[in-house]
Amino acid sequence: MRIQLTPGFVLHERPYRDTSALLELFTREHGRVGVVARGLRSRRSRLRGELQPFCPLLLSWQARGELGTLTGAERRPSAMLAPGDALFGGWYLNELLLRLLARGDPHPGLFDIYAGAVAALAAAEAPAPVLRRFEAGLLQALGYGLVFGHDVESGEPVQPDCDYDYRLESGPVRVPPGQAGGFVFSGARLLAMGEGRFEDAAVEKDARRLMRAALKLYLGDKPLKTREVLESLRR
Amino acid sequence: MSSPLIEELIEALRCLPGVGARTAQRMAYHLLERDRAGGRRLSAVLADAMDRIGHCAQCRTLTEDSVCRLCAGGSRDRSQLCIVETPADVAALEQATDYRGLYFVLMGHLSPLDGVGPAELGLDTLAERFAGGELAEVILATNPTVEGEATAHYISELARREGIRTTRIAHGVPLGGELEYIDGGTLSHAFAGRQEL
Repeated sequence: MRIQLTPGFVLHERPYRDTSALLELFTREHGRVGVVARGLRSRRSRLRGELQPFCPLLLSWQARGELGTLTGAERRPSAMLAPGDALFGGWYLNELLLRLLARGDPHPGLFDIYAGAVAALAAAEAPAPVLRRFEAGLLQALGYGLVFGHDVESGEPVQPDCDYDYRLESGPVRVPPGQAGGFVFSGARLLAMGEGRFEDAAVEKDARRLMRAALKLYLGDKPLKTREVLESLRR
Repeated sequence: MSSPLIEELIEALRCLPGVGARTAQRMAYHLLERDRAGGRRLSAVLADAMDRIGHCAQCRTLTEDSVCRLCAGGSRDRSQLCIVETPADVAALEQATDYRGLYFVLMGHLSPLDGVGPAELGLDTLAERFAGGELAEVILATNPTVEGEATAHYISELARREGIRTTRIAHGVPLGGELEYIDGGTLSHAFAGRQEL
């Protein structure tokens, strides 16, 4: 099967043989795809400069079995992610996709969310809200979308002035006043998260706590490498 | 069908880059039929090198001494430090430029998705070197890839904390190149990094 100039990104590159590379692509129409880029690391490769991570690309490959062969790539004009928090944010997005998406499972909606997040990081927006919005979108696309709007036991709408125990596999359950313990969030914060108001630092902080726990359910015990490396750089 | 030992030799030679089954077989028969002395020498030197070559305590490049010749020698300018990714980059710069300072070899670049962080790159050794107060300039010669740029960025922050001047090698259009045939990424980088004449 030949695929011609379909929108996608390079998520990860690994050296393969002498001059080739194995690329993990994330494409709008075909989801995550593994391809061999022959001669990519050779002196004469013309694709070298085009195939940068975080650049919107038009990709062509020939699929045969598990791994396809890259036959072409065109770069669309875009800004680069600034080294530092923006770039680490981008790497974090890529690691989440590599860990949570299976190959050959298209998610056009998630692709658009990813493309938007990368563009926002490249435009030097504050990375944290961009990452939270992506995490929420990712969980939604994988079918694990978080509930923010109603109490999953009573079915009542979430009240801004009540506290809720967030049960990761179902959703928020109202906590009677005065009772402590559990994984508690205020109703106002949950409603703000549901509206995607992550620019508010307090909302973002709570969202980070919630998303981290929710993602851990699906990531398992193996920690995220980007997070470990970032933490060791900050030390 | 050749004997098990010959098969083993052919298989062992395939660990070399660019050597497939066919080339490995040619190499094995060449050594056995025509150049036993050369083969013995290769095996002795190879065993010796694999056992004795380690990393320079100062710059981390490959050497059989505890400190490599460049770092130990007195003829180099000790106030300049050029940071590169691999020992091969040191060789390339030594051949192409008249640089007289010292090097620091990271043996890689930051690559969080592969779990390569500051510890793997020896950035703690480098930070001690920066704090030593001997340096006037740090030249960042990591590759112009996303990972190389990120590595350069973090090292430049380390150096700046110690008040050391940091510079980055220029990148753009190759000498004798024609704009029309240059890939878009390189060209946009070259354009963004244009200089006053």
